[in-house]
Amino acid sequence: MNIKDTIKKKLEDLKKDKEYKKKIEELKKRDPFVYKNF
Amino acid sequence: MIKLGISAFYHDSAACITNGNLVLAAAEEERFTGIKHDSSFPVNAIKWLLRSTVTDISQIEEVHWYENPEKKDDRVKTIFNKRPIRTFFLRQRYKKDRKNNSPEALLKNLGYTGKIIYHDHHYSHAAFSYYTSPYRDAAILTVDGVGEWETTTISKGEGKEIKKLISIDFPNSLGMLYSTITSYLGFRPNEGEYKVMGLAPYGNKTKYINKLYKVLTNTSNKYFINQKYFTWEYSNRVMFTKELCKLLDIPPRLPEEPLTQEHKDLAASLQKLYENEFIKLLETAKNITKSNNICLGGGCAYNGVANALAYKYFDKVYIPFAPSDAGSAIGACLDNHSQFSPYLGTSFTDKQVSKILSTYKESIYIFKLSEDKLINTVADILSKQKIVAWFQGRMEFGARALGNRSILASPVLPNMREKLNKVIKKREGFRPFAPSVPLDNADRFFDLKEPSPYMNKVVKGKTKLIPSATHINGTCRVQTVTALQNPKYFKLLKEVGRLTQIPVLLNTSFNLKDQTITISPKQAIERYLSSDIDFLVINNYLIRKK
Repeated sequence: MNIKDTIKKKLEDLKKDKEYKKKIEELKKRDPFVYKNF
Repeated sequence: MIKLGISAFYHDSAACITNGNLVLAAAEEERFTGIKHDSSFPVNAIKWLLRSTVTDISQIEEVHWYENPEKKDDRVKTIFNKRPIRTFFLRQRYKKDRKNNSPEALLKNLGYTGKIIYHDHHYSHAAFSYYTSPYRDAAILTVDGVGEWETTTISKGEGKEIKKLISIDFPNSLGMLYSTITSYLGFRPNEGEYKVMGLAPYGNKTKYINKLYKVLTNTSNKYFINQKYFTWEYSNRVMFTKELCKLLDIPPRLPEEPLTQEHKDLAASLQKLYENEFIKLLETAKNITKSNNICLGGGCAYNGVANALAYKYFDKVYIPFAPSDAGSAIGACLDNHSQFSPYLGTSFTDKQVSKILSTYKESIYIFKLSEDKLINTVADILSKQKIVAWFQGRMEFGARALGNRSILASPVLPNMREKLNKVIKKREGFRPFAPSVPLDNADRFFDLKEPSPYMNKVVKGKTKLIPSATHINGTCRVQTVTALQNPKYFKLLKEVGRLTQIPVLLNTSFNLKDQTITISPKQAIERYLSSDIDFLVINNYLIRKK
């Protein structure tokens, strides 16, 4: 993989990472979306 | 000896009253509060039990609690101690809940100060399954999210003894894994698992299976779950970490987002992983018990597709009518075999029904018929592709409507499934409906190895005559009915068969979107009037909208 591809992949990963974080934060704001175990 | 059995504070709180090993009455709290899977102390269920069995609280000799709060406390404190700062607020809340949820204090408020006997969570599952089975020798496999520490157990039942042989502890939990992916797919855990099962046949089971196997590893007879991907030990908001998103390489779905092929593939892969692991547990159960019979218990025993795999190792397979926490209220009370029907809940006399119906005279036509005339008329209505809400006798205990609080329809036309899903139940179109059939006619339509009275085995359909009751992969979650089990429903199925040559009905629980199963005639009428259901039947009253 050349540098260009590596950077492109890194950027894609960062974008995905941000999306995952946003989705998880969104879920946290809602009613608890869990299987109760405590 | 009169005992009160209770399960509470996890999922599906419930209570029962037994005399000896005879279960007099039982009900889930959700039916009284209208809160689906209500986990609160079942005070309404207990009050109804006492009223309906004409029992004073002073006559209760023992209370049997379905789990051991001390052992659970040990698990919760141990996992919180791993991350004292991160779990600080959770710990405060847990302490408060523990204080408020003291069984002694709650029972004292009801006037009970006698003995409380605590059983292990998975023992209660195992006892409910084994003691309600017809076997005196069996392997017992229980799988759920978590009890005190245990998430999976294998026991041997012999005579009246239950001996635990293997257990797997939290956080290694197949049930929690299934629930986590359920939530990842945008469905509510402890409720949406049915949807994942229904979605699975639409997907490619190989697409995500290798990725999912990165979270689960096996030894010879146990499995381990890598906690890097999960928040089970420290969150009560979401169940997975960003690492799981990275692993799966698709974002979690929010409930309002559309379902894509990737979601279907993930559902299919999860179901496949669950079946793979379940079959390993079955093999272990066979090897260590050498029994030809198996009893399944715990919430995961609602996975009808996996349940049917038990025939690979066992000749006889039994799954009780309420294998999840609700049934454990009964399991905790039993100490020997006892066979009884699932119809353990509320019932109403014709006089009570008539009085309620009279208050709705302006909105409905009411016809009081003899039982034979009612059966003939309803069978005729159903054969003309109308939808009937059917409210009879005592309410079922457990998640399934088994012909006493049911919405019924003919499975003959393919569009009936869509009509029921979209117009009546207002739920996802992919979800299948279960068919009911008289046991003596079952072989013509279904590839059944044994009777399936509680709708918890998924089998191959044999015919194209009932498209609305057949899932995309040709399977059906069938209920077999006998005259002994439910005489009136049996008669109705037979009459439908006489008229149409197909003695099969779609049977779905009598509730509309997000509602609990109908408990009373008043609720039945209100729901009937607010829906597109064509007819309502309560006892021998046939009701039609004006």
